[in-house]
Amino acid sequence: MKHTSTVGKSNRVALVLLILGLSTIAFPLYLTIVIAFKQPSEMTNSISGILSLPKTWSLNNFREAMIVTDFWHSLRNSLLISVLTVGISILIHSLMGYALGRNKAHSKFYSFVYLFIVSGMFVPFAILMMPLAKQTAELGLANWVGVIILYIVFYMPMNIMLYSGYLVNIPIALEEAARVDGASTWMTYWKIIFPIMGPMHATVAVITALAVWNDVMTPLIIMAGSGENTLPLAQLNFQSQFGTNYNLAFASYLLSLIPILIFYVICQKQILNGVTNGAVK
Amino acid sequence: MKNDRQRTFLLITIPILALFVCFNTIPLIRGVIYSFTNFKGFGKYDWVGLRNYVDLFSDARVGKSYLFTVKLAVVTTIVVNVLSMILALGLNSKIRAKGFFRGAYFLPNILGSLVVGYIFNYFFTYILPAVADMAGITSLSTSILSSPSKAWIGVMIVCAWQAVAMNTIIYISGLQTVPEDVYEAGGLDGATGWKQFRYLTFPLIIPFFSINMVLCVKNFLMVFDQIVALTKGGPAQSTESISYLIYNNGMSGGQFGFQSANAVVFFIVIVIISVAQMKFSGSKEEQL
Amino acid sequence: MKGKRLKCLGIALCCMAAALPLQGCGDSSDKVEIEIVQYKPEAANYFKTVEDEFNASHDNIHLTISSPNDAMTILKTRFIREDYPDIIGIGGDINYSYFVDAEILADVADYEGLKEINPGYLEIAESLELVPTDGTYIVPYVANAAGILYNKDMFAEHGWQIPETWSELMQLCGEIESEGILPFYFGFKDTWTCLAPWNAMAVELSPSDTAKQVNKGLTTFTEEYRELAEKYLSLLPYGPDDPFAYGYNDACTAFARGESAMYPIGSYATPQILSVNPELNIDSFVMPAADNREERTLNSGIDLGFCVMAECENKEAAYEVLDFLLEYENMQKYIDDQNAVPCKNGDFQLASMLDGMTEFIEAGNMTDYQDHYYPSEMSVDALLQTFLLEKDVDGFLNGFDTSWQRYNRDIIRLVQEYEQNH
Repeated sequence: MKHTSTVGKSNRVALVLLILGLSTIAFPLYLTIVIAFKQPSEMTNSISGILSLPKTWSLNNFREAMIVTDFWHSLRNSLLISVLTVGISILIHSLMGYALGRNKAHSKFYSFVYLFIVSGMFVPFAILMMPLAKQTAELGLANWVGVIILYIVFYMPMNIMLYSGYLVNIPIALEEAARVDGASTWMTYWKIIFPIMGPMHATVAVITALAVWNDVMTPLIIMAGSGENTLPLAQLNFQSQFGTNYNLAFASYLLSLIPILIFYVICQKQILNGVTNGAVK
Repeated sequence: MKNDRQRTFLLITIPILALFVCFNTIPLIRGVIYSFTNFKGFGKYDWVGLRNYVDLFSDARVGKSYLFTVKLAVVTTIVVNVLSMILALGLNSKIRAKGFFRGAYFLPNILGSLVVGYIFNYFFTYILPAVADMAGITSLSTSILSSPSKAWIGVMIVCAWQAVAMNTIIYISGLQTVPEDVYEAGGLDGATGWKQFRYLTFPLIIPFFSINMVLCVKNFLMVFDQIVALTKGGPAQSTESISYLIYNNGMSGGQFGFQSANAVVFFIVIVIISVAQMKFSGSKEEQL
Repeated sequence: MKGKRLKCLGIALCCMAAALPLQGCGDSSDKVEIEIVQYKPEAANYFKTVEDEFNASHDNIHLTISSPNDAMTILKTRFIREDYPDIIGIGGDINYSYFVDAEILADVADYEGLKEINPGYLEIAESLELVPTDGTYIVPYVANAAGILYNKDMFAEHGWQIPETWSELMQLCGEIESEGILPFYFGFKDTWTCLAPWNAMAVELSPSDTAKQVNKGLTTFTEEYRELAEKYLSLLPYGPDDPFAYGYNDACTAFARGESAMYPIGSYATPQILSVNPELNIDSFVMPAADNREERTLNSGIDLGFCVMAECENKEAAYEVLDFLLEYENMQKYIDDQNAVPCKNGDFQLASMLDGMTEFIEAGNMTDYQDHYYPSEMSVDALLQTFLLEKDVDGFLNGFDTSWQRYNRDIIRLVQEYEQNH
């Protein structure tokens, strides 16, 4: 009894804090929405001006933003690149995370490979840009396939870190039980370990998808001149040094926010399922 | 049996490692080669030996950018980890509308940097000074982004605001690995609140704590987007981060060779910091 | 459950992968392909129309024009993978100097259309070469001009006169201020805007080839820029209290809303200003920095010019495209669209906000931007911002000279080697 009552109290405190924290998000979001509906002539430098509601709630900005960015086409490219990157990352990175996570504690070789790959995370992108632009072109990969391959390599260090960190709490006894039943390591992995890592797959999916979804630089240098755009690339059209149409840009950013938000909401349910459901015990 | 296991692990590791070497290590080596030239990014170039490296250590601008970046990274890492740990605990507890909160707290991460830049610029330039005026706080009555000594705080706030979501997700997924019965056992021993966190929860999520520390230190040492969106290195070059300098002078400017040398040194510095960090938290993990 | 989901994912991935290769098929014909990459995204619509019209009227050549944002990054990455467009549209700045030096541009001296280009701009292009190089490497298309934009209605209402000398300008600022109006607006948070007044004053106060003289070791910036730096500082009190808090966009909005009488910036700012307040009556005048009327000159440089790449396989076709771009109607359309100044001789109709500058343009009294000679990695804009914040003239000038030697070491060596050999 005592136990439940303290939990109840701390939950109320948590709720109040969460609502307070929410204001730091609600305010910028409000501004974004209001600006997305306004006309450039409604922009001012006064506080009352920026906070005021738009004169009309017309969807014209959204319509025009969709035309400027060639929305459906760019969206398709963005979706394709994101979905493939996330799918392949989950398959490859979890495997690698498993191989390294299970061995790095007792094997010098695997521990070295782990550190080698993780340190790849710290290579400043600027130094890789030129060589990568050249290398992908030499390999005939100056297109979306090249972009996906690069993403898989870029996010490998972080994802491997996440997967092998997660494995620490998955008892090795589970695998041994399967081995006694005669299953190979490969089969054991796909049948037992891969499904158990469900919450981590969801986490990796969210983090990778988000990074890919918003990335400008990689498609900019790899796909430059191919005539194909991703959404963030197309959104560059709104800004130039001498003039930025914030209203159209904001409308466009709101539009491109929707798919990734839906994806996150789906994944975050997965993050919750899994281990607590008793799979580990 | 044992052999099958080892062979499987090797068969997994080798091809993936090869892919990684091909698109990360090899371009890095090519980049390192450029650091010994005066390559502008196009056209012909000459070998200059170690000149770029010698210059690097006498360049006040590079030194200043290191100081700024390290200061920013340390402070932001602490702020972000404290906040996201609290948020993760809150979002993991049994509260109403959990799904809604989780969605909402994720938003800062997906807003494009143009939007974030515009809104926070507006906030720091117009709204914050007006509020400070009303509250009578004179030190905040001018934009903090226009003051060379205070602008980094603005950058810090935006970095933290955006990064909290990601770290929270990682902490939440870490909290999922803590079995319920640990709490039940702890509850019997009378461990509640801070004690429960300190002695039951935290030790179990240390791997995630160290991942978050490494990711934070890395992300903030390599901070770039927020700088472009917020200050573009100003005022008075007080917020030029190392990555910003490398990109701006190396890619947009004609200093590709020199900034490659900067990138190489920077890479070594971060690797050393992070490996030390991982070794440190690794030893912590083993103690527990 | 899990297995099923995985399978679905797998199938979805395969479908997408299978659907994709279809998009890459283009039509292959015997037409000559000409590709232009130009660096002004704000003119993308104009170039789209030109592309369509050109392709509709030419059977032998197929033209593609792209106007990407961050074109310099795109161009540089394409150069490194040796994927050169046929023609590039760039500004007459240090990048052009580097490209000429790197020998990646073709000599277009034999292009007929050059005869109709205003020789003033060809000279400007010539002087941008790091060391004198035989040949012509750019066809100047349009220029921009920087000076002071002013609120015409406000000036008329108060009866203020356009200043022609530095002391008249200072007097005018005092007058405007005494009526409770802010004379200038600045957006110094965006460092590049610090260069606008600097360039506009520099053309009257320092020799146009200052940078080259320094490279030859004949003078120093401390010597040439002192008056300029001091005069720049005396503009500051006539601007907003904390100019470093406001960006370019804030300044445009403030000027558009009548919060200041003048805004020292280039003609390129007018579309942004008019988007906020389409009714505003803007005109411009040449920045009066000198006290001697004889020394007056307009700050104008090549905003957009076309360079044929050395790798271009079909120069004839490239020239045909250039001919089309330089046709009177097309240029006039560009000028209307972007408030630009043509680099071609002819009877063009200029935008009304350039009225105050027409007399200089017609007389050919123009001097290039000093910053077209500054290497971008030196970040002179940021040095200027620091200077305006700290107001330390000596420190700034010394710093300028030291950084200049540091960032231009290779160029200086090149210039001095050339001097020895010629």
